[in-house]
Amino acid sequence: MAQAYDGAPVALRPDLRDALNRTHERLAQTGSWLSGRQRLDVATEARNAWDCPLCQASREALSPYTVTGDHASLGRLPDRWVDVIHRVVTDPGRLSARWYHDALDGGMAEDEIIEVISVAVQAVVIDCFTAGIGMDRPAPPPASPGEPDRKHPAEAKTGPGWAATIAPRDAGPDFADFYDNESHFYIRRSLTLVPDETRRLWDLLNHLYLEDPRVFELDGLERGISRAQIEFLAARASALLGCYY
Amino acid sequence: MRLRVSGDQTGNEYDLALVMGEEVAASGLPHGDLMNDFVEAICARDGPRTAKSRQAIVETLGEGAMVDAAAVIAAFNAYPRMADATGIPLEDAKEAATAEMREELGLEAFNQG
Repeated sequence: MAQAYDGAPVALRPDLRDALNRTHERLAQTGSWLSGRQRLDVATEARNAWDCPLCQASREALSPYTVTGDHASLGRLPDRWVDVIHRVVTDPGRLSARWYHDALDGGMAEDEIIEVISVAVQAVVIDCFTAGIGMDRPAPPPASPGEPDRKHPAEAKTGPGWAATIAPRDAGPDFADFYDNESHFYIRRSLTLVPDETRRLWDLLNHLYLEDPRVFELDGLERGISRAQIEFLAARASALLGCYY
Repeated sequence: MRLRVSGDQTGNEYDLALVMGEEVAASGLPHGDLMNDFVEAICARDGPRTAKSRQAIVETLGEGAMVDAAAVIAAFNAYPRMADATGIPLEDAKEAATAEMREELGLEAFNQG
């Protein structure tokens, strides 16, 4: 059966096309802490965030905390979830520990926050790519039935930032391979509180960028642009988001 | 940092200030102006500008280059959000390695309240 990105208007690398298809389907499948319906609603709310007047006013303010009001949401998710989604999408450069702890104090489980962030990010990524190649956004797949197992990894601890993560030294046998090839970068660790979800996200990112960013000058990799051009685009996109990680 | 490492390996010199939006055409990066226009258009969610920029890259570098550029831009709409949402800092080694570059780009101003 044809999948969403099989019909892209331009030729895609097979590995990239398959990763996009998997991500598109997984947005509607039962996650680790969110149901398939909730994951679809998070993705849809992420797309809605760009048109939120509160977010627009907040972005123009010296501090996001000087603007008050309600987000223009689709009404399918709790207000606290909507705030997490909208801020991640529209003003990521000014997220803070205060924002994160507000979500926790508002009743979200930390594992829920992480999966919501991941799904919102995947929606943004898919939309950036489809807009870039001139493709209409594919229709969402139907939500899968089933309930998430909501399993919290006991080995997770707060750090290196304000979120709990699984450190490489604490990773059990079912997750240690995630840190293979000395890939202990903090960015890879960032969403590991929900191990299966972080694997889903990285399954996409590895094919969009580079599975191993330590490689020099694309040794053995097939890319249409040079390593220098890749790194320029990476740095420029980050700068435009106000992120200097 | 990788842009500088890449330049070191190929013997080319690139002006790092280009990532902060300064003049790209004279930066030394091949087709830097095309790349810059594409990333700015996508990140600004500007449909007409994206279409124009996409066409320019396809005509100059080919469809595969355009697809790979869009893929990198998409990926780097994820990494910063993941880092910023979870508060992860620069690794110590990376912080030391990029100290000169951050000074050159004026990024330290962002850490000085």
